[in-house]
Amino acid sequence: MTSVQDLPQIQGVKNIPLAEGYTSGHRTCQGCESALVMRLMIKAAGQRTIVVGSTGCMYVANTTYYSTPWVVPWMHTQLGSAGSAATGTAAALSSMMRKGKMTKEPINVIAFCGDGGGADMGLAAISAALQHDEYNLLILMYDNESYANTDIQASGSTPYGANTTFSPVGKEIRNMNKRWKKNTAPMLAVGHPNVRYVASADGSYGLDFNNKIRRALTIGGPTFIHSIDPCPKGWDYDPKFSHELGMLIVETGLWVQYEIIDGELTLNGPSRAIARGVRKRKPVEDYLLRQGRFAHFTPEDIKLFQDKVDESWEKWWLPGVIPVSMKED
Amino acid sequence: MTSTAIELFQTETEELISGSEAIGLACALADVDVITAYPIRPYDTVMQFVSRLKADGSFDFDFIVAESEHSQFEIVKHASSVGARTFTGSSGVGWFYAFEAITVTAGLRLPVVAMVGNRALDDPGAFGVEHNDALAVRDLGWMLYWVATAQEALDIALLAWRVAEDPDVFLPMALSCDGSFLTHSQAIVNVPTREQVDKFLPPYDRGKLQLHPDNPITIAPQVNEDWLMEMRRQSDEAMHRSVAKIKQAYEEFKEIFGRGDPSPFVEEYMTEDAEIIIVGMGTLALPVRVAVRRYQEQGRKVGFLRVKFFRPFPTEELQEILTKCKAVCVVDRDYSYGAPSFGGVLFTELRSALYPMEKHPHMLNFIAGLGGREVHVNDVNEMVDITQKAIDTGKIEKETTWIGVRD
Amino acid sequence: MSTVAVEVIYRGIFQRTLARNIVRSIVFAARKEGKIGTAFGRYGDSPERNGIPAKQFAVVADNAEELEETLARYEPTEVDVTINVDDTMCKGIESWAWYGLQPINQLTKANGTLIVTSRQDADSLIEDIHQKDTAFGLSISKSTVSFSGLWVYKDDHTDARILGTLCNVCPQLFSFDSMAQAMAEQGNDETKVASARRAYDGATTRQVEPGEGSSEVPFTFDLLGWQAMEEGLVIRAQGKGGGFRGGDEGFQPDRNEVFKKFSTRSMRPVINFETCIKCTLCWLQCPDTCFDVTPDGLYDANMESCCGCGVCEAVCPVPDCVTMVSEADFNDNSSQYEAWQEDKPAYQTWMTALVDKQKAESRTHGFHHIGGYAEDIAASEDA
Repeated sequence: MTSVQDLPQIQGVKNIPLAEGYTSGHRTCQGCESALVMRLMIKAAGQRTIVVGSTGCMYVANTTYYSTPWVVPWMHTQLGSAGSAATGTAAALSSMMRKGKMTKEPINVIAFCGDGGGADMGLAAISAALQHDEYNLLILMYDNESYANTDIQASGSTPYGANTTFSPVGKEIRNMNKRWKKNTAPMLAVGHPNVRYVASADGSYGLDFNNKIRRALTIGGPTFIHSIDPCPKGWDYDPKFSHELGMLIVETGLWVQYEIIDGELTLNGPSRAIARGVRKRKPVEDYLLRQGRFAHFTPEDIKLFQDKVDESWEKWWLPGVIPVSMKED
Repeated sequence: MTSTAIELFQTETEELISGSEAIGLACALADVDVITAYPIRPYDTVMQFVSRLKADGSFDFDFIVAESEHSQFEIVKHASSVGARTFTGSSGVGWFYAFEAITVTAGLRLPVVAMVGNRALDDPGAFGVEHNDALAVRDLGWMLYWVATAQEALDIALLAWRVAEDPDVFLPMALSCDGSFLTHSQAIVNVPTREQVDKFLPPYDRGKLQLHPDNPITIAPQVNEDWLMEMRRQSDEAMHRSVAKIKQAYEEFKEIFGRGDPSPFVEEYMTEDAEIIIVGMGTLALPVRVAVRRYQEQGRKVGFLRVKFFRPFPTEELQEILTKCKAVCVVDRDYSYGAPSFGGVLFTELRSALYPMEKHPHMLNFIAGLGGREVHVNDVNEMVDITQKAIDTGKIEKETTWIGVRD
Repeated sequence: MSTVAVEVIYRGIFQRTLARNIVRSIVFAARKEGKIGTAFGRYGDSPERNGIPAKQFAVVADNAEELEETLARYEPTEVDVTINVDDTMCKGIESWAWYGLQPINQLTKANGTLIVTSRQDADSLIEDIHQKDTAFGLSISKSTVSFSGLWVYKDDHTDARILGTLCNVCPQLFSFDSMAQAMAEQGNDETKVASARRAYDGATTRQVEPGEGSSEVPFTFDLLGWQAMEEGLVIRAQGKGGGFRGGDEGFQPDRNEVFKKFSTRSMRPVINFETCIKCTLCWLQCPDTCFDVTPDGLYDANMESCCGCGVCEAVCPVPDCVTMVSEADFNDNSSQYEAWQEDKPAYQTWMTALVDKQKAESRTHGFHHIGGYAEDIAASEDA
């Protein structure tokens, strides 16, 4: 098995490395949190990294021939291929280094996918990748809650009732997307008992984000991180609120920040404070009504959301994480 | 061929193996780095074989059982971009499940070598040979070759990595092996030594295109209408260049290994003075050759031309050889519903290749052997009779005939 | 009548529906006079991104055959009228699929017209607009810029005012009455038609002579041929960057020379280096890696790269330390940190004036999605 790099946890924002692996001039929207995720991801990982990016906003709005924001080697892969791309890249490095065809050194392998390419189309490939204990790799799913690149269509990670071009708000049907958002990271953690690291992340918590990437890259074996990325285009809000919405989704308890390391769950940041009762969850309405995609919501819709969030914190066995509770005898 | 540890190719040996196993040995001889597998009949005998080689310690490579063909082909594509020598394969609709990966592999100029165990496409499910699976990718930039014997399977696999990995080419190549006849039936095969192979096959070096932190690049950025045509032109040029590379590599192969045909692109069998030349691909060569020998014994001038490389299509060779005869009897082990004259793929392409010639032979098409149906000598006789009639009457009654179908 | 083409240049997503309304209305109005037309967006500009300039077109012809010449193309070779619905784009645009900076009047025909929504006067706009060899007319539709999000359209009658102005400057398209009729049929109420009429009646055009305007040479690129392009769809990565302004300390990333993104912004941040507490948040949270890190640990927003999202202002914990101000007040992309280093008092004065002006006038991305906009309509028209 190939070795991992020495990427220590960063103590405090002042110690975040200045070097950039993802620079300016990409063609993303103003205030694109997914772009921020890319930037923080590679900042944490460093230059001895190969990044493979599947089709989506972070492909089409990033690399445009002949320009690229990437400083490290980067390759495109197909929409549903983040898992297979990570596996193939890691396998080649492993095989060639073992057979003496390539200088031995720890090289980070990161494959990213959007929520559409990851939790929908590419779920099988990610699952398969996570079974390969012998390969060190990180799969990062950046979730802007839609197929954003194709002008915003509903995916399996789109919230209930959100306005998208495949679930438009119409005269007859208001909430056309009736699917409740998939609980992807815990699904993968539960389903792959040997995986050492699964985490949720949020670019608004920049230091935490950097450290999660580093932990994933240094713990060994295949790992998975799911980031939530407010999307000013798809969610419909003034781009300057991207950071704030990234915090609000956590403060309302709708998104939970956590890490599962070698089978142990730790909550981070505001989620931790909420779980301990030190902090009260803000009403989910504060978050929902800031966004045009929920502009059509009635009090009933908001209550549905609030009930779901309450349930996940009050009834779930692992609050916010595992939607199962023990039946009373 | 037993599965116990073999002598690691120190001496030339003679083995009794299938085409799949021959290709598996070629993988070991070529020191392939990454192989991906997914079960589907009939190609996967090759994967069962290489996994046994790995388990017995005869061959060191990373072996990944993917969770679908799409992933299977994506994995080797990415391994290839990092500089690993790769091998994979599939059959029938499994190959189609990987279609997205197949097309981007060619566009990315990655020299993946794949075995296609030719199999009929679903629905309905059927395991027997048809050529449509591999033929479907003919426009995309893969070099395509149809194998007829297990020996050829081993030899051309080595040629495949050699040509595909040439930086002037950098195109993937698929080896088509008829299901059952090549994937399962066993024949005597000469297995070369590792030393011979090392003389023939240099290491795979991607140079400035390799994906590695020592060479920071971005591979395949998004393009608009300003760029794509130029990129396609590059692939077009690479396919042009492959012709000379194939010839050169084949000459070297013959020198080192001591066997081979005059041409890498086509195999001629008794075509001198032939009035009728039968054209086909793959193992139907065998009953056709039997029929041709019998015709020759009777004094009839019937010959056979086997197309080996389908891409790049050997236009020049075919024009040169077929200009001499009166009629061409094209056997398609495939179909192309609604094509010109409702003919098969080989027929349609061949007719297009011969169009510029001053002197055209008659061209007739025969659809035969679909779904694994055997092609017998008397089927060949039927085709030749029909073709002869066209010569005698000067008229083609029907351009395309389905042979051996119960009405 | 020969073919008449109109382009609408707009901020992607924010003004997408606005642009669409305009070009479609043009085709409907032309239909009233028996003409035929087509409306389309420039394909390479989609999928659109917030703020990144994009174009839509309406082309009108007397008959179908005449129209054919414009069809199956991404954009017309020239237009009779260019409509710019955000005046900050007068400085030139890097649209999403374009290479280089395209002047706002690039496609405007000789003696065509450029209509701009703006609160600035003609002279300050002309300062921004690149010179042309031929003359053209400039007609200002006096209003604030109108932005909406993807799902909720802010109907503040900007489209009506533009259409009214269009009838005035391009009478060969159609009469105002035809436009009014088409608007009514498309479901617009009388107040909207009235807005259009007011604009029609009040529109004025200022002639811009050849050679008038900005003398800046917009950056362009020669596209490589297939033989010069690397094989395998490969391009070289960006450089690693290095110390601030090439020195040993701080950090300055290598920046993309091919797509700079500054033409995406309608506002830019101005920084008070004296009150900055170096918390790192603006630098860390910028999705576009805009901030150069100075040797003294301050953060200088690189104006070639800044696309004006405003996140830096939102995250800065110090009041008035980072303030988003109107892009219209700037003529270049020079470094604020360097200006401050050169003359600190002068910089402070200049910066404070901009911040105060912003507080008073409040140019914003300015859209919200709940509530009506009737009260905005009166306010956004010229007082």
